[in-house]
Amino acid sequence: MATQHSRAAARFMIAPSVVLLLAWMLIPLGMTIYFSFLRYNLLMPGANPFVGWENYSYFLTDPAFQTAIVNTLLLVGGVLVITIAGGIALAVLLDQPMWGTGIVRIMVISPFFVMPTVSALVWKNMFMNPVNGLFAYLADVIGVQPYDFLTQAPLASIIGIVSWQWLPFATLILLTAMQSLDSEQLEAAEMDGASAWSRFYHIKLPHLARAITVVVLIQTIFLLSIFAEILVTTNGGPGTASTNLTYLVYAESLLRFDVGTGSAGGVVAIILANIVAIFLMRMIGKNLDA
Amino acid sequence: MARAVTNKTKAINTAIAWTVGILIFFPILWTILTSFKSEATAIADPPVFLFFDWTLDNYTTVQERSNYFRHFMNSVVISIGSTVIGLAIAIPAAWAMAFVPGKQTKNVLMWMLSTKMLPPVGVLVPLYLLFRDWGLLDTRIGLVIVLTLINLPIIIWMLYTYFREIPNDILEAARMDGATLRSEVIYVLLPMAVPGIASTLLLNIILAWNEAFWTLNLTAANSAPLTAFIASYSSPEGLFYAKLSAASTMAIAPILIMGWFSQKQLVRGLTFGAVK
Repeated sequence: MATQHSRAAARFMIAPSVVLLLAWMLIPLGMTIYFSFLRYNLLMPGANPFVGWENYSYFLTDPAFQTAIVNTLLLVGGVLVITIAGGIALAVLLDQPMWGTGIVRIMVISPFFVMPTVSALVWKNMFMNPVNGLFAYLADVIGVQPYDFLTQAPLASIIGIVSWQWLPFATLILLTAMQSLDSEQLEAAEMDGASAWSRFYHIKLPHLARAITVVVLIQTIFLLSIFAEILVTTNGGPGTASTNLTYLVYAESLLRFDVGTGSAGGVVAIILANIVAIFLMRMIGKNLDA
Repeated sequence: MARAVTNKTKAINTAIAWTVGILIFFPILWTILTSFKSEATAIADPPVFLFFDWTLDNYTTVQERSNYFRHFMNSVVISIGSTVIGLAIAIPAAWAMAFVPGKQTKNVLMWMLSTKMLPPVGVLVPLYLLFRDWGLLDTRIGLVIVLTLINLPIIIWMLYTYFREIPNDILEAARMDGATLRSEVIYVLLPMAVPGIASTLLLNIILAWNEAFWTLNLTAANSAPLTAFIASYSSPEGLFYAKLSAASTMAIAPILIMGWFSQKQLVRGLTFGAVK
C-alpha cells in the first residue's frame, strides 16, 4: 500500500544513489568528450586549443588502433569460444552423479577468485617461462623445443590465461541453469528411448540458450576492458602484438601523456561497449517484468 | 522409479570430473606448494611436487623486503571500506524500490545498471587528472571512493533482487497486529533481509579485492593494494618464483575461501538476476 507519504520517503531514500551515480557518469564522461576535442598533452604545458576531430582522425588512422581493434575482437571472441564450449562441457560433467561433487565444484570455480595480476604472473613465470616454466619441462620430457609463449604467441597466451580465469564463471552459470531444468522432462525423454546425445541436444541445450546469451553478454562487457593481464605479462607487446583497445588508451594517456588522443580513444571504447550493453540491458529488462 | 545409476557409471564420472577439476585447480595448488619451497627448489628440474624441505622463509622475506602487511591492509581497508559505504547508500535505495515501486522504478534500475557498462578506460583520463588535482592519487580514500561508485550498481541490484523476494503479506500481517513502523523494520524486515545483505557484502568484498584497473592506475607505493603490489613482480630480479608464490598465496587465500562460500550468490549477483 503505497501512500503519498511513503512515496516521498522512497524518493528520499533513492536520491543519494541516483545523485552519486549521475555525478559519476556525467562529470568524467563530459570531461572525456571535452578533452577529446582539445590538443592537450601533459608534457607540453600551455594553452589547450580546440582542434575539432583531429584527435579522432589521428587515433582512428593510427596503425596501432587497427591492430588494437583486431586484438580486442580476437581476445573477446577467443575467450568466449573457449569458456562457452568448456563451460557447457563442465556443466554437463558436474551435473552427473558422482562422489565428491562439492569438492570438484570448488576446484573448478576457484580460478575466478584469483586476482588478475596473480593469475597472469603465475602463468607467465611458473608455466609459460621458456626456461624454468612447467611447460618447458613438459616439452623437454616429450622431446620438443620449449616454446616461448608470451614472445611468440603473446595474444594467444593471454587468451589462454583469461580463459582460465573466466571458465569458472561460465561453468557456474550454465550449471545453475542446467539444474533448474525439470527432471521429469528428461526422464520422459529417456523412457521414450532418446539417447544421451539427443537428450542433451534437444532438451538441455535449448534450455541453456538463455543462460549462454547472458554469459556471452556479461563476459563481453568485462573482456572488452581486460587490462591487468596485459600490463603484467607483455606490456602490450612485442610491438603492439598484444595491445587491446583498453591498453592502447592507457598507453596514449598515461605513458605518452597525450590526454587529447587518449580521450578520443576512450570515447571509441565507450561506443564499442555500448553496442554490447544495449543487447544485455534488453535481456535483463525483459527478466525484470517476468 | 528413480533413474538407476550404476556404481560403475558413477565411478567413471567421478574419475573424469576429479581429473578435470584437479587440472583446472593445478595452477593454484602449484603456487601454494611453491611458496613453501626454497628458490632453488622452485625451479628444480625435474620439478618436485611434495617431497622437499618445507620452509616458511619466503613469507618472512616477502614481509621484510616489501612491508607486505601494509599492502595487505590497504586491500582490506579498500575492499571492506568501499563495500560498507556502498551498502549504506544502497540499502535504503534498494529497499524503497522493492517495497514502494513507482512507475519509474524499472527505468531507474536499468539506468543504474547502464553506468556499470561504461568501460573504465573511457573515464580514465579525467579521473586521473581530477585525482591528481585533488590530491587523491595514491590514497586509500581515493580508491574507496572509486570502488564504491563502480560497485554501487551491483550492490543495489543484488539487494533489490533479495528484497523483492520478501513477501509483502508478512509485513501487512505485522501491521495488522499493530506493529509500529520501527518494530516492523527491526523485528520483521531486518531478520529476513540479513541473508541477502550478507551475501551482497561477501560478493562485493571479493570484487573489490580483485579489482585491477583502478587499483593499478591510481596507486603507487603508498596505498597500493595487493593487486598493484603483486604487479611489481612483473619486473623480476634474480630468482623469485618462491617469493612470488608466497606473496600470491597470501593475496588469494582469504578471498578464495570467501569465494567458496559465495558460489550461489555469485550467479545471482553477476547476472543481475537474469539467471537464478
